[in-house]
Amino acid sequence: MTALLEVEGLVKHFVAERSLFGRALAHVKAVDGVSFSLEAGKTLALVGESGCGKSTVSRLVLRLIEPDAGSIRFEGRDLLALDASALRAFRRKAQIIFQDPYASLNPRMTVGQILTEPLALHGLVPSAQRHERVAELLRLVGLEPRLERRYPHEFSGGQRQRIAIARALAVEPKLIICDEPVSALDVSIRSQILNLLRELQDRLGLAYIFVSHDLAVVKHIADHVAVMNLGQIVETAEADALFSAPSHPYSRALLSAIPVPKPQAKRSRIVLQGEIPSALNPPPGCRFHTRCPYVIERCRTEMPQLVPDGIGHATACHRTSELPSSAAIVPSDGGFSPVLEKLVAAFSGGPEAVRGSGVSSLGTHPA
Amino acid sequence: MSGSPLIEITDLRIRFHGDDGRITHAVDGVDLSVANGATLGLVGESGCGKSVTSLAIMGLLPKQSAEISGAIHFDGFDLLKTPDQMLRDLRGNRLAMIFQEPMTSLNPSFTIGDQIIETILRHRGGSRKSARERAIDLLRRVHIPSPERRIDEYPHKLSGGMRQRVMIAMALACDPRLLIADEPTTALDVTLQAQILELMRELKAASGAAIILITHDLGVVAEVCDEVAVMYAGEIVERAPVDELFSAPQHPYTVGLLGSIPRLDHRTEQLATIEGMVPNMAQPPAGCRFAARCPFVLDACTKAPPPLIEVSPSHLSRCIRAPLERLVS
Repeated sequence: MTALLEVEGLVKHFVAERSLFGRALAHVKAVDGVSFSLEAGKTLALVGESGCGKSTVSRLVLRLIEPDAGSIRFEGRDLLALDASALRAFRRKAQIIFQDPYASLNPRMTVGQILTEPLALHGLVPSAQRHERVAELLRLVGLEPRLERRYPHEFSGGQRQRIAIARALAVEPKLIICDEPVSALDVSIRSQILNLLRELQDRLGLAYIFVSHDLAVVKHIADHVAVMNLGQIVETAEADALFSAPSHPYSRALLSAIPVPKPQAKRSRIVLQGEIPSALNPPPGCRFHTRCPYVIERCRTEMPQLVPDGIGHATACHRTSELPSSAAIVPSDGGFSPVLEKLVAAFSGGPEAVRGSGVSSLGTHPA
Repeated sequence: MSGSPLIEITDLRIRFHGDDGRITHAVDGVDLSVANGATLGLVGESGCGKSVTSLAIMGLLPKQSAEISGAIHFDGFDLLKTPDQMLRDLRGNRLAMIFQEPMTSLNPSFTIGDQIIETILRHRGGSRKSARERAIDLLRRVHIPSPERRIDEYPHKLSGGMRQRVMIAMALACDPRLLIADEPTTALDVTLQAQILELMRELKAASGAAIILITHDLGVVAEVCDEVAVMYAGEIVERAPVDELFSAPQHPYTVGLLGSIPRLDHRTEQLATIEGMVPNMAQPPAGCRFAARCPFVLDACTKAPPPLIEVSPSHLSRCIRAPLERLVS
């Protein structure tokens, strides 16, 4: 089976400073040789600190910005060779949801107009049936069809993110890029959107590229994870494998720092010393060596390659085989206490799950 | 909490008068206390009143639009009745605050050294030279590399994590008795968050200051707090020692919150969700404010506002169905 998306050696350098005559003097090496592939119906998460290039990668994949080098193949076709009309056709298959649902919806358009626009633009649904399709899209994301006459400002953050998802779904894409889709939302709303994204994936066979800095969310939603540091992937693995045995020292530091909702959780946190080096002038050799607790001389001069271990786990570190065991690096939250487990189940099960519950007349409103 | 508390808030009510004549009840009868050296987590979602409570402690709410009643006893003062001049002596001295946005809470046109030194001179006096030495020492305590050089830099030269450390250094400049930290790590990456939390723990151990940590991140709460107060729609709905809150919560809202965060050790297809919306605080509902979203609701819940009851020693819940274990055993 060929992958839905194959990215090979992607490079993007932004010009940071120009001379008086417009010659580039300095480059930000935002993405520097990134390769990965994604199968249909799966989720790949890109994780890393601010400025590691994860958002740039997601924009490159859609050709919202043009790469300097590398190749992107979508369903076997080279995206970089597409002309304008073919690119427009491709955009039907790949969509994006942004972090800020307050900024990504046009405040002057009603929800109906927002959702009709992609249908008209791609000539997908005859105009007579568009109204029906809008209603269907709203139901799909858990909103009532009668809300189509309202404007974005009349909705809460979680509802707006649902509208953004409906807009992405309007063109029936195969790939949706989710760039920090829940970071701006409150905890309880966040879980609704995560549940929705998962449910839609199961129903519609969507593939996601999920960009996030919240690692517990990533563990929950991703099949595969790529850890990025300063424009490069330093480790990639199945989500479960990565979280049970992170291999690269950077991944270890990142995962060990996750705050877990369990007081006195057992952990062996690796607190990184030093600042994140600038992508303007990344250090030679391994780009993590300035902060790495396991650094040796070789790391300062020679850049490590991403080496696969044969079972789907690849790490870019000279010392992979010599590092101490990764046991107990990822903090354990022990799941729920028995009481909490039952309470959460009852909470989710609604009034009928609760012993001796009196009424259900108060009916809740979908958010 | 044993002994007399460092800060004791009783029946704090804050109402905002909008331009259109509407009155919003942002905080409605909050009682809180923090003992010396303890860390209290104040948890809740956007708009629940947690930040407004902290601004009231600091005396930073606009006098024209905010109507405040109740009492905030701190160190022998009632902060709500203290004249502005005296409040200015307390703020930055015995009372200090760290804000979420390290980018906007430092003045861009002064060096970080100037800003820390100003605080020291204002409250402690002494020579500029000795204040500068103290500032360098503070920067070193918050692990800013080569503080002798950094002290003369402007905020824009520093990264987000460094700026937050400068904010902490400034807050600690006069050894405050109470430090209020409003979402101090929300804008930071996990690795930096780990550094800052570590730092706060270290500093608390060294200085014995009490901390009120305001956050929506229950992971952070579990890590640094001794006690937690959960706020919903302007009220405290549950208050408990941190262990108990996470193992046996006694308010349905807390149960919903705990169920809605993805766990590392607990793979579920579906996360718990809290359906519905926060009530309109211009007209709070007559009964329990969470009733419309609560799966455990009874008729009685909507009739009268539930009192904050003691479910077990030092564990309070504003739910007539507590203890909740009864509902599921």
